[in-house]
Amino acid sequence: MHKLLVVDDENDICDFVRTFFKDRGFNVFTALSAEEALSIAKKERPDMVLLDIKMKGMDGLAALKHIKELDRGIKIIMVTALEDQDKMREAYKLGACDYITKPLILDYLEQTVLKNLKG
Amino acid sequence: MSTHKKAPSWRSLQGWFVEKLMDHQGGISPLTPNQNLLNASLPREGALQKQDYQSFLEAASRTMIRFKKPEHLIKMIVKTIDDQLKIMHTAVLLYKEEKKSYILIDSKGTTGLKIPVGFVRLSADNPLIEVFSDKNSFFISETGILNYDDIICGLRNRSILELQPELYDNLLGIKKQMDLLKAVLCVPCYFKKDLLGILVLGEKISGEAFSREEMGFFVTLANDAAMAIANAQLIENLQQKIGEVKELYVREHRIFIHTSIALAAAIDARDQYTHGHTERVTNYCLSIAKELDGVPEVAHYKNFRETLQISALLHDVGKIGIPDYILSKNGKLTPEEYEEIKKHSIIGATILHPIKELSDVANEVRHHQECFDGSGYPDGLAGNDIPLVARIIAVADAFDAMTTNRPYRKKKTVEEAVHELKAKSGTQFDPIMVSAFLLAYQKGNIITNNYNGKNSNPL
Repeated sequence: MHKLLVVDDENDICDFVRTFFKDRGFNVFTALSAEEALSIAKKERPDMVLLDIKMKGMDGLAALKHIKELDRGIKIIMVTALEDQDKMREAYKLGACDYITKPLILDYLEQTVLKNLKG
Repeated sequence: MSTHKKAPSWRSLQGWFVEKLMDHQGGISPLTPNQNLLNASLPREGALQKQDYQSFLEAASRTMIRFKKPEHLIKMIVKTIDDQLKIMHTAVLLYKEEKKSYILIDSKGTTGLKIPVGFVRLSADNPLIEVFSDKNSFFISETGILNYDDIICGLRNRSILELQPELYDNLLGIKKQMDLLKAVLCVPCYFKKDLLGILVLGEKISGEAFSREEMGFFVTLANDAAMAIANAQLIENLQQKIGEVKELYVREHRIFIHTSIALAAAIDARDQYTHGHTERVTNYCLSIAKELDGVPEVAHYKNFRETLQISALLHDVGKIGIPDYILSKNGKLTPEEYEEIKKHSIIGATILHPIKELSDVANEVRHHQECFDGSGYPDGLAGNDIPLVARIIAVADAFDAMTTNRPYRKKKTVEEAVHELKAKSGTQFDPIMVSAFLLAYQKGNIITNNYNGKNSNPL
């Protein structure tokens, strides 16, 4: 069973995405901040992280860097409302495997997660 | 026959909704269940019930039109349905032009099932959107609602699988989308032929199916909401158009003023002795007008300041029709020549007359040489029969003529000219205009620039 960590400072989004991927056979963890995400990543070593960028405290790009330092094997998809070319470039440079902007198409989110887990 | 035995009843929902609509225009208040409505007697069957339903709909649609922000209306619809019908989750997808897709803008419901606002969007080629764009699609019941059960029935129908594989795939696509949204019913909001949005309803918490009447209610709500949304969008578009027209008007207006200034400069350029005259007269006029605040006659003008400014700029436009040898004559004019030059006010009015927007201005230009006692020209008008702006120009015009050199006489000093204005107050000039001039003069607002033909004209 794939381990998925969902990081978003909106509770509703964490809940919804958890239910969505649980129904698709994932073992889902959620974190409401980058700090919480780091400690879960350390403990659980998820296969994949869905990571928001704009959060209180540490932002998603910093979290991306730290998780990649912890374990390069953890795949990370940025899921953010920011349609910012610079952020996108930086995310890819730091090792993110995809960058999805909200509002998103659910099908696309699912396909992107599955595709990157295989690849 | 009645299926309304379970609380909250269909009727209490209607009543609650009407009451909320009446109480709050556009806003939502915390929901407090209305005991009177909840305890209201169950509807009787037959005619009365039908009438209640219709009067509710009338009231609802009347009030919905008043919502300025469709988001408020949508939030209220979602909240009403969620609270009253006990559904796992309710959401609304609304078409957003800038994203070219349907975005989930409001939702309510159980943890995990509630779809977060702004998280999900559906593109126009999504099977769930396409099924509504094609209104004749037979997956949709006669009410217009897409029902998950109907899709399942369709998928179980062997003849569809065997005879219409494309249709079968389509059904699968729709089922998948409804699964994603955990939707049991999808109610479209149409305006004319456009799909503005979709009301998404999850399962009832009780697990029961939706009744026909509930579905009818959703359809009506959705249609009314579509009207309100279209209305709000129309208002928004209109406001944008008004802004554009205003901007255009300001631009055209600026061009118009500049055209008037250019025309005035052309007149000035022809008459070397009165160089800068038009600009100075216009400035004097505006200074006098500042002292006329509150004079009732000002209110008779649609736009007093503008009429004054343009009339002052163009008061001598008729000099175009006066022969050069008279205008630039170096010496005193003969009586015949003087008669000729007096025609410039009529010629000016004639030139401006065809411009409909300048009909006021043409009249002021015609009368700027009238005297308060009736001894002026061309019509010999007296007192308040002379239009106000013309009476102002008369003072400003005379003052500038006195304070600048003419071929046949030397200029007066400012003090002498002021004295002359006072002396002719009540005969040549309207005493009120003279007083206004004097006030402006005392305040230092009458600034005489003497161009002796050498300075460049800033116009």
